[in-house]
Amino acid sequence: MSMTVYLRRYWQLYALLVLPLAYFLVFKYGPMYGIQIAFKDFNFFQGINGSEWIGLEAFKEVFGMRDFYITLRNTLMLNGLDLLVSFPAPLLLAIMLYELKSIWFKKLSQTILYIPHFISWVIIGGIVSQVFGTQSGMVNNFIAGLGFGEIPFLLDKHYWLFTYLIVGVWQSAGWGTIIYLAALTGINKELFEAAEVDGAGRLKRIWHITVPGLKPTIITLLIINLGHMISIGFERPFNIGNTAVREYADVLSTFVYRVGLQSGQYTIATVVGLFQAVVGLVFVLGANYASKKLTDESIL
Amino acid sequence: MGRKMFGKKMASTLLAALTAIGFLAGCSGNGGKDAATGTSGNGGSSAGAAKEAVTLKVEVFERGNSPAGMSVTNNYLTKFVQDHFGKPNNINVEYVPVPRSEEVEKLNVLMASGGDVPDIVFTYDQNVFYRYAQQGGLTDLTELLDQQGTNLKKFLGEDTLAYGKFEGKQFAIPAKRANLGKYASAIRQDWLDKLGLPVPKTTEELYNTLKAFKEKDPGGTGGKVIPLGMTIAPAQIDPLVWSFIQPTTDEQKFTLTQRLGSNDYPILLPGFKDALQFMNKLYNEGLMSKDFGLDKDKKQLYQDVSNGKVGFLSEDDTNLYDDGNKISSTLEQNVPGANLKPVDVYTNSEGKHAKPRYAPNGMYIMIPKSSERAAEAIKYLDWMAIPDNLFHMQNGVEGENYTLNENGVPVAPANVTEETKNRLYNSGDMAIISNGQQLGSDDKNREATVQAMSPKYQDKARESLKISNSDTFPPVLLSKPIEAQTKYGTTLQDKYFEIIVKTTMVKPDKFESTYESMMKDYMASGGQAILDERTALYKESK
Amino acid sequence: MRAHTANRVFDTVNIIVLAAGVLLCLAPFFHIIAISLSSKEAILSGKVSLFPVAFNLEAYNQVISDASMIRSLGFTVLLTCAFTLSCMLMTIAAGYPLSKRNLKGRKTFMFVIVITMFFSGGVIPEYVLVRNLHLLDSMGALIFPGLINPFYLIILITFFHNIPSSLEESAEIDGSSHFRTLVSIVLPLSMPVIATLSLFYAVGRWNGFTDTLMYITSPELYPLQLKLYQLIQNNLINDLVQQEGTQFVRLMPESLKAASVVFATVPILLVYPWLQRYFVSGVMLGAVKG
Repeated sequence: MSMTVYLRRYWQLYALLVLPLAYFLVFKYGPMYGIQIAFKDFNFFQGINGSEWIGLEAFKEVFGMRDFYITLRNTLMLNGLDLLVSFPAPLLLAIMLYELKSIWFKKLSQTILYIPHFISWVIIGGIVSQVFGTQSGMVNNFIAGLGFGEIPFLLDKHYWLFTYLIVGVWQSAGWGTIIYLAALTGINKELFEAAEVDGAGRLKRIWHITVPGLKPTIITLLIINLGHMISIGFERPFNIGNTAVREYADVLSTFVYRVGLQSGQYTIATVVGLFQAVVGLVFVLGANYASKKLTDESIL
Repeated sequence: MGRKMFGKKMASTLLAALTAIGFLAGCSGNGGKDAATGTSGNGGSSAGAAKEAVTLKVEVFERGNSPAGMSVTNNYLTKFVQDHFGKPNNINVEYVPVPRSEEVEKLNVLMASGGDVPDIVFTYDQNVFYRYAQQGGLTDLTELLDQQGTNLKKFLGEDTLAYGKFEGKQFAIPAKRANLGKYASAIRQDWLDKLGLPVPKTTEELYNTLKAFKEKDPGGTGGKVIPLGMTIAPAQIDPLVWSFIQPTTDEQKFTLTQRLGSNDYPILLPGFKDALQFMNKLYNEGLMSKDFGLDKDKKQLYQDVSNGKVGFLSEDDTNLYDDGNKISSTLEQNVPGANLKPVDVYTNSEGKHAKPRYAPNGMYIMIPKSSERAAEAIKYLDWMAIPDNLFHMQNGVEGENYTLNENGVPVAPANVTEETKNRLYNSGDMAIISNGQQLGSDDKNREATVQAMSPKYQDKARESLKISNSDTFPPVLLSKPIEAQTKYGTTLQDKYFEIIVKTTMVKPDKFESTYESMMKDYMASGGQAILDERTALYKESK
Repeated sequence: MRAHTANRVFDTVNIIVLAAGVLLCLAPFFHIIAISLSSKEAILSGKVSLFPVAFNLEAYNQVISDASMIRSLGFTVLLTCAFTLSCMLMTIAAGYPLSKRNLKGRKTFMFVIVITMFFSGGVIPEYVLVRNLHLLDSMGALIFPGLINPFYLIILITFFHNIPSSLEESAEIDGSSHFRTLVSIVLPLSMPVIATLSLFYAVGRWNGFTDTLMYITSPELYPLQLKLYQLIQNNLINDLVQQEGTQFVRLMPESLKAASVVFATVPILLVYPWLQRYFVSGVMLGAVKG
């Protein structure tokens, strides 16, 4: 097919792309000159372009900091645990909701399960210490009532990991189901009827029909999640964490906030951001490649 | 064919909608106040400036606490300033809100992007001031102050002004702080009475009292007694820790103190370890709040105090008796007969109730170099420094907001309405040159604070203020900024509190090793760099 | 018979587990509501858990009588609607062509977009851009910089891929233009994902406030979440007391904060139940048959 014929046939698709691409160029690529801050001794009043070049000096400084490695390790650890626990949770929940027969209960529970997503982490942090505190936390009061000793859910770093995960699942699982529930609407109901005729049990049906129907969505989400293994939000570790468990709760985002932003060292913050970006891109491309080979699904 | 036409129509509708949305948002953009164009285009303002009124942009903190019908850019005080300063001088004073909690971040972005920076900016963070001065972004105010700042200079005095100097030049105007006291303590007098115990006078006696509280549980809390109320906020930690610091020479004090953020920390001073050991003992014997490591905002502490579980605590001077906090009144409501009485207990080896006090300055007021309104800015601050103006901005209208009592201290009339009170809801953020009431003497300033409390607690508040101002020592004055402190301050501050929490909570036999390893990490993370720099600076200044 | 019993066990366990989850998710919201209805003293002494103590409506009175809250609600609704509509149009416009696997240059475009998921210029250049476009302190500053979320775009593309290509091909054979195929075949079949992404965009805008901290200075243009953030953050930071001393700052009671949280959260919570009508199964099936 010659170029003219091709364009005559597909120009509309390119026309649709014009505005979105312009958006990315102006609003995303436009500000990217800011990345050079990583290689400059940033001075607030000389601005980005006026500041002096320092080469890789800032990288050397960051890579020489002990806290950088600790926070990097913690970021990977918390994200890794989340991938094991918090990633599958909404999937399970969505399947459970899908299997409900009662329409009203389904709608009601869907709506309620996603409420925690709307409560800000500051407030959740306050509630968490009321619930999991050692001195007068509800859970420990209950445990004490059963005659057992108290459990330092927040003050001991290992228990804290558990608390961090549980709270994360609680906060995000309901919200995460929405996308799966949307995907589930695409499954052909006739398949279920056929399965019923075959006398397949519920679990079997879920495994052979529901899960494969969700596969593209699962893989897309998984690839993107892997791309973000090294970046982590500030709010959750900051508000659930506390001084006693800093060893585990201190992550790259809190590190950047403290060393880069609070101390006005934008160069440091940019260096860490650039590091995260490069690693993230490598991860996502790697995951995409692997997924293409293994499952023939990919996002690129 | 018809189908095709229809499709095209839909597509063009889609595209049209896209552009329309863009257009719509763009329009509302022009509808809003156009901050980008700087000083131009304020023709239609209500100031009624006939000739060329200039616009003076002044930063103001946004705390989200504006009463209904007011905002930080439009309230009684902004009108007062416009009427009494703006109009006569043909100046349009425009307030630029900056979120209180993101103050530094926002200021950084404004500064770095050039352009629409307010003409008057301020921060409490000394490091921010130093950074801006060092990078050459501030106007040197030395001359302007001499020419147009007579009232201002007189009001602040050389002592305060010295804090705004950087390399000999006046790059900032520090606000004057009225009340320098920080901390006082309080004990449940009714518990002491019940047990027939005297008020403890030293830290050692306090230990015995706390033990008695624990064992005899005079409050009848059913084993839930918390003899010492503790958090990881400075108000609970500082008074205890500093009372263990040994007497030091000037050199030690200068070189071994570490300023992290805006406070001095005694981490390297002799006696710090003893303080940790004492806390460790208290914790392991169950004499202090178990979850203190979680209590950043003192919420748990206030809850425990007001439920009558806490026997003794230290706190920011009058906080326990404040009407806004309602801690004492709630306690008395929950536990009839409870009496939380101000005391001064923590004692150092010299028998003094040594505790830190504030530096004599408040926030750092700066005028960016890019500002074309430096003269007007100083004029504004100078106007504010005229005693009547400052007094009005802090106290409002006589007969409505206050009446003067026999000592010349403003007192709120009994029947003052909420509406009248709200006139001054952000007076602290508007009267930027002063931190607290300036009535001419410390006693009067303190009395003004006392008079703001409900009559029932005025005596206790007065006592607390007396305690918070006795045996205090000032922060170490540095002749120039310590770079390592600017750089590592926030990191080390976190580590400092981590050391306290960890060494306190660890089992006594692990104390030593925990302390050692954490101190090592602290020193490696910048503590040593600060120590070296301070030592060098001390030698230099000798 | 055995399979039947197993199914019944499955259903029962399923309902019990979900019911427990529902209660767990409801509890904190009840707690916040209880606080908003309780007295200061009760809150301070920690007596309020799931039910109000010393019930009073004072906080709600204050919130509702504050004209700036009502105006802020109106502004936030308008902002969220404008944002969601713009975002969806842009995301669909990008998603449809990029879902065509044989589109020339598709991989390049995708790569260009994926890069922006990781690399960004940072807060200062972004601020400068918004200022140079004269968007500061306007609704545009809160709409344009976030028009397309690459993550949502990828999800949309994934869903478009799932539409049987036979449908589109047959439309093409009929001589339908791409625009028409998109509007009359692809979009109707994609209502669940469109509803989902609209919800994501809407909730993101409703709950987002970090950009408002930077770009908005006029109190008239404060979205609800910014007001809420300031309200909550106001008394939280201890350093503030340390820096400022105990000078007079008007404190906001906990009940008022909680009432504001309820006020700012309930409207957006209602969006999902309303959108659920679009989560209907079998749309695809019907289309194939028709």
